[in-house]
Amino acid sequence: MTALSPDRPGKTRLPLTLESLKRQRSKDGFGQVFQGLLLFSVAIAFAMVATVLITVLIDSSEVLRGQFWDFLTNKSSSDPAKAGVAQGIRGSLIIAGIVTLVAFPVGIGAAIYLEEYAADTPLTRLIEVTVRNLAGVPSIVYGLLGLAVFVQGLGGITGGSSVISAGLTLAILVLPIIIITASESIRAIPSSLREGAYGLGATQWEVIRTQVLPAAMPGILTGAVLSIARALGEAAPLLVIGAAAFYSTGFQGQLDQMQGAFTALPMNVATFAKLPADVWAGHAAAASVVVLVLVFSINLVAIIARARLTKKLGR
Amino acid sequence: MSDTSTAQAPEAASPEPPAKLRSWTPTTPALRSRALATAVEGILYLVIVMAVAVVEYFVAGPIGDFGLSNWWIGFVIMAIWQGWHWAGAQTPIGSYIDHYFADSAGAPACFWCIATRQLTRFGFLYALPILAFSTNIVMMFVLFAVAGLIIHFTPDGRAPWDLFAGTHLTESLAIERSVALAEITKPADFRLGRQRVAENNRARRIMLLAGLSSVFISVLIVWNIFSEAWEFVAADEFEWSLLTDIGWFPRRNKFDLATLFVGTLWITGIAILVAGPIGLGVAIYLSEYARPKVRTIVKPMIETLASIPSVVLGFFAIAFISPDILKRFGGLFGIDFGIFSLLSAGIGVGILSVPIVASIAEDAMRAVPRELREASYGLGARKATTALRVVFPAALSGISAALIVAISRAIGETMVVFIAAGGSGGAIFESNPSEPGQTITAAMASLGAGTDSVAGSGIAFQSLYFLGALLFIMTLILNVFSDAIVRRFRQVY
Repeated sequence: MTALSPDRPGKTRLPLTLESLKRQRSKDGFGQVFQGLLLFSVAIAFAMVATVLITVLIDSSEVLRGQFWDFLTNKSSSDPAKAGVAQGIRGSLIIAGIVTLVAFPVGIGAAIYLEEYAADTPLTRLIEVTVRNLAGVPSIVYGLLGLAVFVQGLGGITGGSSVISAGLTLAILVLPIIIITASESIRAIPSSLREGAYGLGATQWEVIRTQVLPAAMPGILTGAVLSIARALGEAAPLLVIGAAAFYSTGFQGQLDQMQGAFTALPMNVATFAKLPADVWAGHAAAASVVVLVLVFSINLVAIIARARLTKKLGR
Repeated sequence: MSDTSTAQAPEAASPEPPAKLRSWTPTTPALRSRALATAVEGILYLVIVMAVAVVEYFVAGPIGDFGLSNWWIGFVIMAIWQGWHWAGAQTPIGSYIDHYFADSAGAPACFWCIATRQLTRFGFLYALPILAFSTNIVMMFVLFAVAGLIIHFTPDGRAPWDLFAGTHLTESLAIERSVALAEITKPADFRLGRQRVAENNRARRIMLLAGLSSVFISVLIVWNIFSEAWEFVAADEFEWSLLTDIGWFPRRNKFDLATLFVGTLWITGIAILVAGPIGLGVAIYLSEYARPKVRTIVKPMIETLASIPSVVLGFFAIAFISPDILKRFGGLFGIDFGIFSLLSAGIGVGILSVPIVASIAEDAMRAVPRELREASYGLGARKATTALRVVFPAALSGISAALIVAISRAIGETMVVFIAAGGSGGAIFESNPSEPGQTITAAMASLGAGTDSVAGSGIAFQSLYFLGALLFIMTLILNVFSDAIVRRFRQVY
């Protein structure tokens, strides 16, 4: 640091030309150290992402190379050479379907109500507060809710610890996330759009259906699709609901399978990771790769869908 | 929208304002006549159920108890029979006492509206009691009474299912009056305008229901978790001294909370030590230093980190952090790390929390008005000084909210700890982070993973809910706290 430092203006000597300022800046030692620290933290964050992905890939290479197709199509087994994640993939896909069917309409409907219809009443504020707090409730607590309501309370319909219970629980888990993201993208729609439609004599519902929803759709869909990715990565609620570590599906109909024992990809990862690492680490890593591929491709779909919809709307 | 133009023109020419269309009020039947119709219906339902049982007896023989299936078969027959006259806006019973279904404009309700109404109603009055209370006929009449009270206290005498489907139960329809009011040239025009109004009202009601779902879920969570937790505390085997017994062994009735709290504190502390500096560094870099091009690389990287499921990080903790980092560097300090340790799991949770801290803190710092930075530069401050002594203090509330949210997430994080901290069913008190330990969430996961064997055996199962209630309260307090901070911070700018 020199005597010319602007931090000590009393000692600044005129004339202060552009050149002298540039020279000073290059001598700003503290600033450089600080920027270096910031870059270091960004580098560590990068290293974290890279190490996680590389570790998982390296550890999984043996299983994925040796028995790639078997691993994807085999059922769970206590024999490392035969064990696969087919049941997990099936369970995860059904869960994603149930989450889509249940959480999308309810979440988007709630967002529309909060942003378009609701006046500033105590009821509205209550809804907003509960949504915000629900978003912060740990996922395992939703597992308890699922255990009490879907597994035990409505066991007659869901069949107890079944993929239906899991799907409904995860739908409730992601509901606040969908509501918050959808509300944000609806709030971003300029009111001039609404006023124009009202001016043409449209009812409120027509304004929402023909103007607000299409304009907000990119944001709403992105949030909703990302929430599916979140649901696919959750294992804690499934653990509480009672996802099976190992099970065999005998000769059952489709409905019986929906109501019977189930597992999901993250549960597969957890199960393999809990087994002795010398034999099963490769399987845990391979199942992790499958989860990551699924989650990342869903994120990619969200990004592409957003880009396309935005382009189509000409915004 | 394009076909509505035909309806608009005559409405505009009419001397009466179109608002009159909505002014139809239903002549709601007296509660007594509704109750009569419902009672007739209920008796008919019982008759049907009995008839089913009799038929069953003759077809299948005496096969034991009077099963749940009889109620369901009766329900289906009832639904079909009661739905027979939907298209005529009257039920079979209603046709004897002039009960119609009207939409909110007073015309006969559409087929789907009535279908929705009847299905909702049957669900509430018949399916719910069957499901929830399995054949307890008393509960069914309690539900009938509840419905009657709701009908009594709603303005137009509308039941919950009426509110849901947008129908009114009425003794007279309003077709003639509405046509005279609106002076619409042909019936189709009138129908269009009325439909639009009804559709609008229906949409509003459905959205309200969706909005109420979150309140409903909150009530369900609080009710279920706290009632089960109360059963734990109120159980005969339970004594408060069990909560301070040595170690956490739920199957042996040892519920030492200190064991779990120490584990949770370690995990949370380590996670914040990892995620705080790195997350804040990334946030300051992104909001103050990064050029747009660099942002397009760093931002997706942070989002990638955020989208990695926690199970994968749990596996990462035992596959990389423990053997390759802790064992290697722990040896230098003479500490012997195993595969499972609180430190390893804490670092894993810290990696998960980096994107949370980074994104919330970055939002807070970007929300600081540019004038503040410009004024700082105008006074001759350097970039680092501006970032640290102007922007950082101005965004301090948002930054502390980010840290609190991260703490709340770390407390609630389950899978990393379940996999990497090494606590299985039980754990002894352990205050050394290089040793395996147990947290609240991991203890819950262990209990939950063995739910089938735990259920019904003592109070171990209820302790799951007791821990859930503790966790819920802790995270709720943290969330409300951070929410309040963020709100105050929004009011400043």
